Amino acid sequence: MKILKLLSFCTALLTSVSCLGITSPNMHEETLTSGISHQYKGGWEYFVGGGVAVFDCNDDQYPELFFAAGVGRATLYLNNSELGQALRFNKKVQSELSVTAVTGAYPLDIDGDGIMDLAVLRVGENILFKGLGNCQFENANRLWGFDGGSAWTTAFAATWEGDNQLPSLAFGNYVDRDLPGAPFGTCHNSDFYRPDKKGQYRHNTPLIPGYCALSMLFTDWNRSGTPSLRIANDRQYYRGGHEQLWKIPETNPPLQYSAEEGWRKQKIWGMGIASTDLNRDGKPDYYITSMADNKLSTLQTQDGSPRFKDIALERGVTAHRPFIGNSVLPSTGWHAQFDDVNNDSYTDLYVVKGNVEEMSDFAQLDPNNLFLGTPQGRFIESAERSAMLSFKRGRGGSLVDLNLDGLLDVVVVNRKDDAQLWRNLGAGRALSPAPMGNWLALKIQQAGGNRNAIGAFIEVRIADRTQSKEITVGGGHGGDKAVWHHFGIGVAERAIARVQWPDGQWSPWIRLFANQHARIRRDQSTADTWLPFARAKTTQN
Amino acid sequence: MTRLKIITFVGILIPLCTQAADQIPVIGDERAVTQHIALSELERLAPEQIIAQGKLLFNAKFTALDGAGRPASTSAEIPVKKRVDLTPAMFRTSGPDSNACVGCHNQPGSGGAGEFVVNVFASSGVVNVDFDTLEPQFSNERGTPHLHGSGLVELLAREMSADLQEIRRAAVASARSQQQRISVKLITKGVDFGELSVNPDGFIDIAKIQGVDHDLIIRPFSQKGVFTSLRQFSINAMNAHHGIQSNERWGKQWTNSDDFDEDNFTAEISSGDLTAISLYQATLPTPVQKFAEHPLLQEAAAQGEQLFRQAACNQCHIQTLPLTSLSFAEPGPYNAAGNLRQTDVAAVYRYQIDSQGLDRDQQGNWLVPIFSDLKRHVIADVHKPHFANERLSQRFIAIDEFMSAKLWGVGSTAPYGHRGDVSTLMEVIMHHGGEAQGAREKFEAFSDLQRRKVVEFLKSLQLTQG
Repeated sequence: MKILKLLSFCTALLTSVSCLGITSPNMHEETLTSGISHQYKGGWEYFVGGGVAVFDCNDDQYPELFFAAGVGRATLYLNNSELGQALRFNKKVQSELSVTAVTGAYPLDIDGDGIMDLAVLRVGENILFKGLGNCQFENANRLWGFDGGSAWTTAFAATWEGDNQLPSLAFGNYVDRDLPGAPFGTCHNSDFYRPDKKGQYRHNTPLIPGYCALSMLFTDWNRSGTPSLRIANDRQYYRGGHEQLWKIPETNPPLQYSAEEGWRKQKIWGMGIASTDLNRDGKPDYYITSMADNKLSTLQTQDGSPRFKDIALERGVTAHRPFIGNSVLPSTGWHAQFDDVNNDSYTDLYVVKGNVEEMSDFAQLDPNNLFLGTPQGRFIESAERSAMLSFKRGRGGSLVDLNLDGLLDVVVVNRKDDAQLWRNLGAGRALSPAPMGNWLALKIQQAGGNRNAIGAFIEVRIADRTQSKEITVGGGHGGDKAVWHHFGIGVAERAIARVQWPDGQWSPWIRLFANQHARIRRDQSTADTWLPFARAKTTQN
Repeated sequence: MTRLKIITFVGILIPLCTQAADQIPVIGDERAVTQHIALSELERLAPEQIIAQGKLLFNAKFTALDGAGRPASTSAEIPVKKRVDLTPAMFRTSGPDSNACVGCHNQPGSGGAGEFVVNVFASSGVVNVDFDTLEPQFSNERGTPHLHGSGLVELLAREMSADLQEIRRAAVASARSQQQRISVKLITKGVDFGELSVNPDGFIDIAKIQGVDHDLIIRPFSQKGVFTSLRQFSINAMNAHHGIQSNERWGKQWTNSDDFDEDNFTAEISSGDLTAISLYQATLPTPVQKFAEHPLLQEAAAQGEQLFRQAACNQCHIQTLPLTSLSFAEPGPYNAAGNLRQTDVAAVYRYQIDSQGLDRDQQGNWLVPIFSDLKRHVIADVHKPHFANERLSQRFIAIDEFMSAKLWGVGSTAPYGHRGDVSTLMEVIMHHGGEAQGAREKFEAFSDLQRRKVVEFLKSLQLTQG
């Protein structure tokens, strides 16, 4: 009777799944029609990596996609989509970015000129590309005095320390192939670069010991005002290694947190890092992908010591083996990202998975997870319900609103297979997408070199709940996005937001109406709103 | 203890057209609403049946057997759980505070206004949720407005929102194509909502928008002007006042629970029901001008109308606003998530609002005698502070700012003011400050007889029973 009754309430609604619990978005795979044809491939060095950088390079706010290609040429795809419509991209044929041996890339505005730059990670010399506007780039290693080295780089993060005009950069390196006995026990040191007074990266500090970093993130885990460097390391190759957290004293070299200080030496196949504040304590929680059990770390202490506990099991996100099919073999997780794909105000989690290559002890058919957050705190697997099952060997990815309709779309990079795109149709269908919950898209800006307020925290409050996000550069697996900060706000028609700027100062609470793009600037107590173009700009190839 | 969830709607699948005679009555049935309309049934029912259902819902004294009460959740418009449960099931301050809509909206009849005794105590429902005091720091005390002509009000607001958003869209397009900053006036139906400026990159400076929310949606309901649609207002009120929670706001999609208020009733009001009750309110009769029988008073009222204009009261209380279409679509186009949206349904239900009592202008627009500009104004100042007597900002709106009262029907709806604490029209006029200072001063400059004539005019603006 109860079921009958519920169904009768739902019969006229297009969103039938909405009556059955937390609503899954309808995803529509548009890989074949998107104009993107791209694979991440290569030999052993490219078993890892395979990221995608997501950013706008032609000032229309429609995000472009820059894909690592392994032995092939990394490729920039220009967004040519229309507002709320099918995803369309054009390959940029002539581009400085078309370099080989790329494992990943991270967008950031290094010189604070308002144009996104790119840190490109490679097997070999890493490259800092300066954005010139209109999707033109130049190799700026010489300009910024940056020695890209020759290591096998697989991770990156950046932070602005103090009043520095330029960011400090961390490059995470994997196996040192030149050492005897490689690859086992031969993890490369990672590198930390601070800009000098001349705005040059002439000196780097090796982060010793290195334990084969596959993801890294500057993050203010205890809200002390000074971020630390979290590194996810691959136990496959290290000896005596573990996950790492480095203190970054402003004028001194980085220093590892020790067991005496509370840091537990966890050993996992650390592949990717995602962060958000799940338990609303104002401090980020971290999802670390791995082979087998993935970890969800939440701070246990109030005294500033870095003791975390794993709550992946209680939240239902261990994702330790495929959620579909008969395989009992463990999964292999790579990119992970928290964001709200159904805009119900409870953050969701996307985990890209795929066998390393042919590892027979691990699942071969290893679908990506889409976990939907619930008010009760547990997550519900929803990839199949959202029609986005994929059994390819996933690596990098992103949840990002590619057509600026307020719904996060999905891009995934696959090893030796085509990159995939799904358009988020919300509660609708391909010809008639429909919104789900209400949302906000925020751009946060301040004066100075750290224009995009990396290191700031955004708080969005609806009713009795506050969502908190740290603005970071890094994490994921091989890539990150530098676009609007997205918040689902459910049934709230309005919200208030404030920013704790990187120097610790708070903005006032700023009033925002739902379903709009808005920009919060440090010197303003109201937000500017922004309307999308009807379609993305056409940029010369 | 295992508790059996009680099924609220036993007869839900039975179309209303077959209900009355054929059904075996339930002995001792204490439900106020025994039948509900599924959204899918709307097209099969005659409009009169839907409106009758809406009236039944509006007049129903909800009981616990209908799902009335919300022991575990608050009056907040966003799902919010109570942290403690110490208050009684019904509670005059923090609610649920009434059994029926008509319990308050009842003068001169269902859908009408209410006097001081039926004031409500509006709070956010987020903090101090069980307030048991009338102190203004806990809630805003509000009178009960009438709902007559509400369909026309919502239609006006929809058209005005569309106009304003089109002005914004065009400005953004121009700024981008011309690559220069552009400022435009936001004027719709002759009402000036300030201006906005657009930079070539599409960012919009909202600092000079006046009297409307920054998303340029006219929210014509409540005295503050903060509710978009009758549907949204009804969903909020059903929860706040009766503890009847709609799945559109508190359903599993948003709360992962089918009984968020933990009263052991699920799906307490259907989407079809909400369409019905919205339509009922939308089709309440249009207020009229009805003169007193004595010729002396008729003449005074006519002269009072001239004086009303002479004092520039009509700058905000605009006598008529032009309406292009009487086609009432439900759900409306500006509902946000948490209220049924047009994108949520296969077909929007449409109803033609009665044009009785409406004149037309030369362009064929219907002239809605609303006596309002549907804009918010600062209405109090240091010399006239009465209307700034609240302490809680509601939905971002300053405490001295209210939407221009819709004066149609004002002659039938004493007492006056947003708190219903002013007993005469003369007093309420004299309380006008802020942006209304000039008009009030002109009124004050009138002779006593002239002022009485204005009052006589206002008394002629009346509700009818339909």
